[in-house]
Amino acid sequence: MNKILLILLINTQIQAQIFLGNSGNISFFSETPLENITAINDNVSAVFDASNNDLVFQLSISDFIFPNALMQEHFNENYLESDKYPNSTFSGTVTNLDNNNATVEGKLTIHGITNKITANGSFVNNGDFISIVAYLSVRLDDYNIKIPTILMYKIAENIKVNIDIKLKSNK
Amino acid sequence: MRVFFFFLLSYMPYCLNAQDNLFNLLSKDKSPVYVSYLFKGTKIVNGQSVKLQAKDILQFNIQHRFGPLNSGAYNLYGLDFSQVRLSLEYGLYDWLTVGIGRSSSTKVIDANSKFRLKRQIVNGFPVSIVINSVICLKQIPSSNLLNSNSDGVYDNLSYTHQVLFARKITRNLSLQFTPTFIHYNLVEIQNKNNDRFSLGFGGRQKLTKRISLNTEFFYQLNEIVNKNVLSLGFDIETGGHVFQLHLSNSPHMIDTDFITNTVGDFLKGDIFFGFNISRVFSLN
Repeated sequence: MNKILLILLINTQIQAQIFLGNSGNISFFSETPLENITAINDNVSAVFDASNNDLVFQLSISDFIFPNALMQEHFNENYLESDKYPNSTFSGTVTNLDNNNATVEGKLTIHGITNKITANGSFVNNGDFISIVAYLSVRLDDYNIKIPTILMYKIAENIKVNIDIKLKSNK
Repeated sequence: MRVFFFFLLSYMPYCLNAQDNLFNLLSKDKSPVYVSYLFKGTKIVNGQSVKLQAKDILQFNIQHRFGPLNSGAYNLYGLDFSQVRLSLEYGLYDWLTVGIGRSSSTKVIDANSKFRLKRQIVNGFPVSIVINSVICLKQIPSSNLLNSNSDGVYDNLSYTHQVLFARKITRNLSLQFTPTFIHYNLVEIQNKNNDRFSLGFGGRQKLTKRISLNTEFFYQLNEIVNKNVLSLGFDIETGGHVFQLHLSNSPHMIDTDFITNTVGDFLKGDIFFGFNISRVFSLN
């Protein structure tokens, strides 16, 4: 009987090890000598399962805000085709968690195409909150995002992506 | 052993597709998904589309219309004549655009406001609804103004009010329905109505990511002299510019004029070639 109680206890413990966040921030930068472009998305949601270190992210492409409405239109209409592929997701596992630094491995889906990626960042867990800050580089070609030749000097081939999100324990 | 088995069983749900389960935990976003970018330009051809300027965006338009194609080789099929309309459009809010413009040959100054009432929502509200109101002032020489016994400026004003209903049917096809009411304070010919009613139909079919085919038809409900207006054109988008090339049986560029002052017959070759070029500036 004691053992069963113990099992029940362990199970509730597992339930409590889920961390959730809904207003994370992902921004990206395209840097070329001609033009720097920045866009920010403040509606990123993420879940971390502390029992097995699984981590997932999800965002809506049309939530990216550009400084210029025309850029935003081109981003949604011509490049990311957000009506066809409304979301971008990541699902992976945190590995090498060591002294607040971590490596994340998993599958990143953008524009309907999924690639395996690895990213490094800081991962701070104080029991109630987890704070994740990470950087990664996305090659447009890997996700079949085509830039017309005349705009190649204005849009970088590799886009720098910054991730900043706080997750709260689901207790 | 039995306890161990029970222990294992109770773990099972967490092992199966652990990451998929995590996606299920993500809160489902309940906010409506608006359908955007029904038309590339703020005009389909001559008439307004449901597209508004975004907030703080200023658009400068240069519109050109040439003479009729059936005017013969001596006039290079109309290219010898040309008229121009210069205009500015500005997004005060995402739901309100104001504009001013002037047409060269008819000497009309126009001001308009476009106000968005509703947006099309994915699996929700079926259409976008925009109200467009235009006020036009026809300039006359100041000497005429002094000599005539007219009421001056008041006589030369006309108004257009339109309700624009548009729906993006597929990702490439958008259609618009535009009931239009036009009022002239003074008409030149006695048996012409001061109030005119028309029904506008418009559409855009995207051919490639950056080129679309646009058509527009205005059917006159209570018109004696005027023809229905048919226009066809292409939108070509290159970065910050949109080029619109088109053919129409109206040489005019502002709603009041092209809807109620079209005498040309499309089928008889009274077709005018024209183009619009627009450039946007971000003022924030």
